[in-house]
Amino acid sequence: MLIRIVLITTLLGTLAVTAGVRFALLMGLGLSIGFTLERFGFGFAGPWRRLILARNGQGVMAQLVAIGLTALCIQPLIAWAPGQLLGAIAPISLTMILAAFVFGLAMQLILGCGSGTLVNAGSGNLLAIVALPLFCLGSFLGTLFVPWAIEVTPHPVLSLPQTFGVGGSMAVTIGGLVLVGFGVARYSTAPLWNRKLLIAAGIIAGLAVLHVLVAGQPWGVVYGLGLWVAKGAQALGWDPATAAFWTHPINQTALASSILTDTTSLTSMGLIGGAALAAWRGAGETPLWPGLKPWIFIVVALSGLALGISSRLAFGCNVGALFSGIASGSGHGWAWMVAGFLGSVVGVRWREWLWLRASEEGA
Amino acid sequence: MTRRLGILFVFICIFAVVSAEWVGGNPPDPYRAPDPMAFGSTSGASGAICTFAPGASQ
Repeated sequence: MLIRIVLITTLLGTLAVTAGVRFALLMGLGLSIGFTLERFGFGFAGPWRRLILARNGQGVMAQLVAIGLTALCIQPLIAWAPGQLLGAIAPISLTMILAAFVFGLAMQLILGCGSGTLVNAGSGNLLAIVALPLFCLGSFLGTLFVPWAIEVTPHPVLSLPQTFGVGGSMAVTIGGLVLVGFGVARYSTAPLWNRKLLIAAGIIAGLAVLHVLVAGQPWGVVYGLGLWVAKGAQALGWDPATAAFWTHPINQTALASSILTDTTSLTSMGLIGGAALAAWRGAGETPLWPGLKPWIFIVVALSGLALGISSRLAFGCNVGALFSGIASGSGHGWAWMVAGFLGSVVGVRWREWLWLRASEEGA
Repeated sequence: MTRRLGILFVFICIFAVVSAEWVGGNPPDPYRAPDPMAFGSTSGASGAICTFAPGASQ
């Protein structure tokens, strides 16, 4: 315990001195989120799978509580400080909806969403360690397709705070979450509330609100992953001027700055570190090799690539689009939820079929 | 081999990425650091966010 505290204090202190206090705070938030997700077993892909296959809605109800608590705090804050704070508002389109469907499917195949893949990799899960680099690559490739997607299909933005005002937006958001909750309650055959998951939901909501106050924008994952590969590609000779996405001043600044000053990079690295801290003790007793046939790693790698590309075209993953999008009052968050869940319904079936064969042959 | 090996591998990869960028001439500059918190400051959000959609009517 003492070693962990010393390690974290040294890391954050060094970051505060070499980059700035805000960036150390963001890394600290990432570490806290990763630790909470791993220690409490709070996630997105897993609870959707348990709802679909086992009719257990506990995890989904905890997600709804976390999103609702975050929405109640950040929507008024963002409206109150428009020059300082920014919501996760994005357009809705056909390509966005299709991409969210693919993300939902792929995240079930590897049982790891945006945050889940980072947390799983941080806990030493070999499947996630294989998927993560491809997830990063896909996130970069997705940025090359985004301008094309925006050009070929209409991309209207539905901002609930702009449409209904902050009070109306909060009412619509909470009403929508309650409605989804009723649907989950009707379908679920297990007890709806799980104390441990509800505590985790409260902690995650608190950390998500702090993230908005510190970073000025909601929690996200995939932007940073694509940025890492873009920087690598640039070092290898790729010219960002050839990609419309990266010629935007915001992205040019991100490319020219250190990843230690990029919000999503810091929280994503923190997520991995926090999960590692939480998982370290148990990891010593869990074998690295998952006991599956090697060909499953090709499926995992392709799923990681699909997660990356689709999360860019869907303007976020389960964190940036689903969690932060809905909490900010973005219509695209709701479209993501529906499309992502339908993709998950297909994905859990595919996973059952694939994993059965991979373990049968591996046994 | 346990998952601890996987954790160490991931940490080495992250350290390598950060180090490569730093050595490659892109270290952070603490003198250009924004205020500790965006809320209540003159340096707000960077805008580099997953929902960023250049060209869409945001």
